[in-house]
Amino acid sequence: MAGLPLPIAGGASTKVWSATINGKNQQCIIKEHDLLLDVLRDGLGSLGTKRGCDMGTCGCCSILIDGKPRLSCMTLAVEVEGRSITTVEGLSDGHHLHPIQTMFAECGGSQCGFCTPGFLVVSAALLDTNPEPTRQEAEDAIEGNLCRCTGYQQIVDSIMEASKMLTGIGGQQPTTRPASDPNPMFGG
Amino acid sequence: MRTPSFQVHSPTTLSEALQIANSLKKQKTEFDWISGGTDLIPNYKWGINPRSNVISISGVDELGGISKTRIGAMARLQDIVESSEAHPLIAEAAASVASVMIRRSGTLGGNLCLDTRCFWLNQSETWRKSIEYCHKCDEGTGADCRVIPNQNELCVATYQGDLAPALMCLDATIHLASLNSTRSMPLEDFFQNDGITRNVLKPGEIVTHIELPDDSLRRFGSYQKLRHRDAWDFPEGGVAFSVGVDRDGSVSSLNMASTGFESIPRKHGDLISSLGKGPNWALEAERLGAELKRSVRPVLNTWFPPRYRKKMASVLARRAMEEASKRVTSA
Amino acid sequence: MTDLDDRDDVFEDLEVEPEVPEYKSKVGKKRFKTKAAKTIETEKSEIVGYRQQPGKLDFTRPGSGGSSPLSERRDPKMIPRSQGGELEQPWGPHRHDSLVTGRVIGKRTALIDSKWKVTGQAVYGDDVRLPGEIIGRLVRSDRHYARVLSVDVTEAEAMPGVLATATGLDAPSAFGVLPVTKDEHAMAIEKVRHIGDIIACVAAEDEATARIASQAVRVEYQDLDPIFDMRDGLKDSENPIHDRGVYHIGESNVQKRVFQRFGRISDIEDSVASYERDWTFKGVNHGFTEPHAVVAHWDPRGRLTLYTPQQVPHYVHRALADVLNIPMHQINVHRTYVGGGFGGKSDPFPHEMCAAILARKTGRPVRITFDREEVFWTNRGRHPSRISMAIHADEEGRFSGIETDALIDGGGFASFGHVTTYYNGVLHTAPYEIGAFHYTGARVWTNKPASGAMRGHGAVNSRCAVEVGIDDISEQLGVDPIDLRLANLLPPHSATITGFRVTSIGMRECLERVRKESNWEKKFRKMPLGKGIGVGCGFFISGSGLPIHWDPNKFPHATVHLKIDMDGGVTVHTGAADIGQGSDTVVGQAVAEVLGLPMDMIRIKSKESDTSPVDLGSYSSRVTFMNANAAVSAAMEIRSDLITAASSILDLDESKLVLGDRRIFSKRNPEVGISYLEALHKAQEDRGALVASGSYRTPPMGKMHKGAAAGLAPAYSFSAYVAEVDVDVETGSIKVEKVWAAHDCGKALNPLSVEGQIIGSCHMGLGQVISEEMKYGRTGNLLNPDLLGYKIPTVHEMPEVVPIIVESNDPEGPFGAKEAGEGPLLPILPAVCNAVYDAIGVRTSELPLTPDKLFRSIEKACSKKGISDPRDLPNPKLELKPLSKILKKRAKDHSSRDRKRRLDSSPEAYFNGQLFGQEPSNPPEENDPEWMVQVIPDKEYLENPKLAGSAWLHKERRHRRASE
Repeated sequence: MAGLPLPIAGGASTKVWSATINGKNQQCIIKEHDLLLDVLRDGLGSLGTKRGCDMGTCGCCSILIDGKPRLSCMTLAVEVEGRSITTVEGLSDGHHLHPIQTMFAECGGSQCGFCTPGFLVVSAALLDTNPEPTRQEAEDAIEGNLCRCTGYQQIVDSIMEASKMLTGIGGQQPTTRPASDPNPMFGG
Repeated sequence: MRTPSFQVHSPTTLSEALQIANSLKKQKTEFDWISGGTDLIPNYKWGINPRSNVISISGVDELGGISKTRIGAMARLQDIVESSEAHPLIAEAAASVASVMIRRSGTLGGNLCLDTRCFWLNQSETWRKSIEYCHKCDEGTGADCRVIPNQNELCVATYQGDLAPALMCLDATIHLASLNSTRSMPLEDFFQNDGITRNVLKPGEIVTHIELPDDSLRRFGSYQKLRHRDAWDFPEGGVAFSVGVDRDGSVSSLNMASTGFESIPRKHGDLISSLGKGPNWALEAERLGAELKRSVRPVLNTWFPPRYRKKMASVLARRAMEEASKRVTSA
Repeated sequence: MTDLDDRDDVFEDLEVEPEVPEYKSKVGKKRFKTKAAKTIETEKSEIVGYRQQPGKLDFTRPGSGGSSPLSERRDPKMIPRSQGGELEQPWGPHRHDSLVTGRVIGKRTALIDSKWKVTGQAVYGDDVRLPGEIIGRLVRSDRHYARVLSVDVTEAEAMPGVLATATGLDAPSAFGVLPVTKDEHAMAIEKVRHIGDIIACVAAEDEATARIASQAVRVEYQDLDPIFDMRDGLKDSENPIHDRGVYHIGESNVQKRVFQRFGRISDIEDSVASYERDWTFKGVNHGFTEPHAVVAHWDPRGRLTLYTPQQVPHYVHRALADVLNIPMHQINVHRTYVGGGFGGKSDPFPHEMCAAILARKTGRPVRITFDREEVFWTNRGRHPSRISMAIHADEEGRFSGIETDALIDGGGFASFGHVTTYYNGVLHTAPYEIGAFHYTGARVWTNKPASGAMRGHGAVNSRCAVEVGIDDISEQLGVDPIDLRLANLLPPHSATITGFRVTSIGMRECLERVRKESNWEKKFRKMPLGKGIGVGCGFFISGSGLPIHWDPNKFPHATVHLKIDMDGGVTVHTGAADIGQGSDTVVGQAVAEVLGLPMDMIRIKSKESDTSPVDLGSYSSRVTFMNANAAVSAAMEIRSDLITAASSILDLDESKLVLGDRRIFSKRNPEVGISYLEALHKAQEDRGALVASGSYRTPPMGKMHKGAAAGLAPAYSFSAYVAEVDVDVETGSIKVEKVWAAHDCGKALNPLSVEGQIIGSCHMGLGQVISEEMKYGRTGNLLNPDLLGYKIPTVHEMPEVVPIIVESNDPEGPFGAKEAGEGPLLPILPAVCNAVYDAIGVRTSELPLTPDKLFRSIEKACSKKGISDPRDLPNPKLELKPLSKILKKRAKDHSSRDRKRRLDSSPEAYFNGQLFGQEPSNPPEENDPEWMVQVIPDKEYLENPKLAGSAWLHKERRHRRASE
């Protein structure tokens, strides 16, 4: 059963790996056992995707694979070859922020900000499938993400406000337009 | 944190997967199957029994699928939760697994084959070195078990999968495949009471799917789980209970199974048989709970102390029965 | 070509008409004038404002700056009554009222750096990627306690890809966050003191190689007997974990001991109700999401830049200079974004030294990032504690005495422990007036990861015990616990029993608000079994009166520099560390408010020690109070320059001018005015960019006894929470349903952040009360060094929190503000404990109150009452006794007393003790010979000391030598 630990480096074969990252086809050379999180951070420079606990209990490394939230610290990169991956960097369209980003900034959903990328992609995916979630549905969607600063309340507030902005039912309206606004909002 | 290096094989069909497994077996190369990775990857990162080869079955479509009577090994837990096909008891148990993020990766097969857990084991290499390792992952030292000291025969790491008791209560059959052969068995026969071997899977063999009897749709049940937080935590104890009801309303079957108390999930046929099949089974919830409490043998290797987990077995059993009874009535 | 010709023209013109003599003549005069500048005579011939060469096109007249071309009118609702506005001031005027422009203070303001965070562009420790970086990895001890006989790095160094190794010999200098207890080294010199202690480090081309190489470092140990139980730390040991030389206390592992006795101790004997309980608190970790990470880089000129997520960059700066043996000016500490601190990133850390050492050896940038397990080994979390709490009340329902004995488990190093030992006592001498206070405390070293400062530093555990005790006493006295508290509060502008100067107090309002909003009267002791409601209060410092490093003597606590160039944007240089709490935002708000600017004209440079004035960092809840105060005084200087300039342009007296949204105008006639930029450019005429510096230091205060400075603060925050819980009596699990959380932060400069802090504090405190603990097994190993085993509440455990902000308008705080970051954590623990009692009648004295522990208590309660099913437990009922009416009356009298005092600009002195008949205007020790102030135990005490008090049985080595 047990044997001496295997060498960590060397020996593993490398391969050229490609996937659509935030809408852009990207290639890089990976080791076969590389986890998606390592590929994103070290290979592709998506430093917005964070490493918090390494075992799926903080959600900081959450990303979207074909639009669905997944934990990149537990996903082998080879398993998602060729798929469409969205990280926090892919949520905004140029200067035009996704409503969830605007609302996390304005409603206190982000304090230290380290867990924020994970919460953002998870919430964006929620609003994508369910644009008008109840507070309970929003809480259920973020149960796999850990925040130590906010106590979650202002995060759920942010999701609810973003929902209003997205659906145009009450709440704040976007101040910029997708991909067309050369003059980003002042401030922030 | 990095895993040790390993070779990944990514077959796209079951037969290809089994062929790879067979050839690795022939070369005497140790390997692991990986489906969702939520159990295996952290263990590898911690250096717990990593293997040099890993066969990923996430590309094998024929292992998926969720229907009323059949669920593929690669069915993701969250898909089971959201499926309109899956039996409500299975969906309930699946919904209680870890967190929604982990359920999106985790699979049925992975949850059934979940490695056993122990706080002397699920630690980093440096940590385990400080206690001079343990029996389950002894790094060649022949170390003793740290839970039951002075022996290195038995591993008492705890099985903490949520789905097994629910499936057992539905009399699920598990189907295994290896190159050139398949076999199936009642789910309760799949597990072995040993924290290391855990189940009957032979090298090169894989779980393909589980099958439910046709009458499973007429069964109503509940899964009660003991855990500290409502997300992430493994069951410190879990009890499923089901009642089969014939069309005339008479009780056709009663089942109870538990998880999280021992190295093996258990179906408690002996306890259930004392209930008979009369209409008043629900009145005996209190007694049955007390009997389950006497029956389970938790050890000190998870978050809650064993004394507490044992006592909670009776509460879980009673609540599962009460809840099942309610569901029968409302159906 | 034509373009070029035009330009030549311009140059020619300039050459022939260079006359602008006014500029030259005024340089000397104006340079040093600020307010007095209006005395400069304006020559009639001088063209005022925007001049241009004759015949040339005008420059565009300056806009107003900011995103809107129009200036918003001052909103009278944001202007205080004292300035003629409509903003109510129930707590009286404030010295900063005249600076209010109504722009940002008091408005919900998004964090100034939030857009970076939501786009993933915020750079945290591990996100600093420099060209040519290599990876460092630490070699950690797998022994609890051992002498290091040898460290062999030859095998590791020989590995391909390994560039350098280092061991303790590379950096023999000791360091530590407190100058009095420097007991840490970059790497172990002589001994390792806990599992995970650092022995050596390696640097390699990539992470995988570094990991293998770190496993190839061979260490030879000689094991020593470890101690894990803090009580063993009080005993003499063959091998004390540290050696303090002549100051060593006995041969024990006592790192610090405190003895304090104040008041009339004899009154305790006349008590009619007493609560005495021995509490156990498990250690708690900060649990921030970002693991520690650091990048060190020596630039080609030989200067070190250290990128690190730090709460206190300045102390790292000092420690680096000591350890690397280079002058401080050769180091630039660059604070990255900090992924949560809570006190856990406020020590200078060994790994930061290691990165610098490896980078010096290799000449390459070195990055070290922790695994989660290493975060737990570094720890510095809340001390595991054993606290014996006794509270006594007399027949009039006054707290005649509090006796506390606190033994705290410091783990392997001193860290902030010196201060923690004091805080466990002195931070519960308020908000109540008490007859006597007796505190004994001791901190011991054990072979576990070091404890340190964590949100609510030192106050949390003993506060929980006090507040639960008060609940119990009110039950004994037959009164409502809120009434009991309201009848025993210190008034505003008073001194506590240990001599802390308390200025503003919003405690009464906090209690009254939560009582009303929670519908307390309808619920307390009136709900069915399993449902309960409870109250708890808190009191915390808003900045520490004495900084940790106070050499040179008169160095200010905080300094802020402002620079405004012709573009009109304000660059704020501050060393305050934004760790997510919003310090950049609040400093920016203070400046924006005074200058009447929108937040987008403010930019904060707070990251690098090269460009930021020294600031003592984000701890002790000091940033808003001290840094914003410094920012206000810097902004006042600029404001004065602007007003002078405007006055000279408008020919109006300075006193008649006010600032509004990017405009300076006549207060009486707002149409008469000029834009901010015009005034600015006028003010810049002779000197270019305006610069200003503001600083803050605390006023002199407090008593003179040993330890009097600990807990001394320029202001204190107060809070009261009510929690409603649902307890499952069959499993012992607690679900907190709702929390009403009132916090007195003086003035909410940014209500959005204050609410965020209150709710976040509830979450963190809730963790400590229901689930979080650093669990050590029988072998002394930490069993849960990961985020699965370390049980931080998930979204499902989180109750609905109703944040209630109480604004008591602190006279010295910036615009009246005090802290809101730590104090709000304190009350949630006792509020939940007391609610659990209300629900099921079980009092706890052990945290966390995990289901298994609560269930055991329920079983005990059942067997005591002869009940077999816990669902039949009776829950407590309230029968009010006559004292209740007396307390209500006293509370009412005190309420009007307090209202008078808070509005009185020079209230009479009030010393703790008046409630007990002491003459109010003198410290009671001056009137009453029985009123003690004692900080060294007497023989009588030592005959029968309490647990922590027994640390005083040891003699320091130096005294032993003298007596031998």
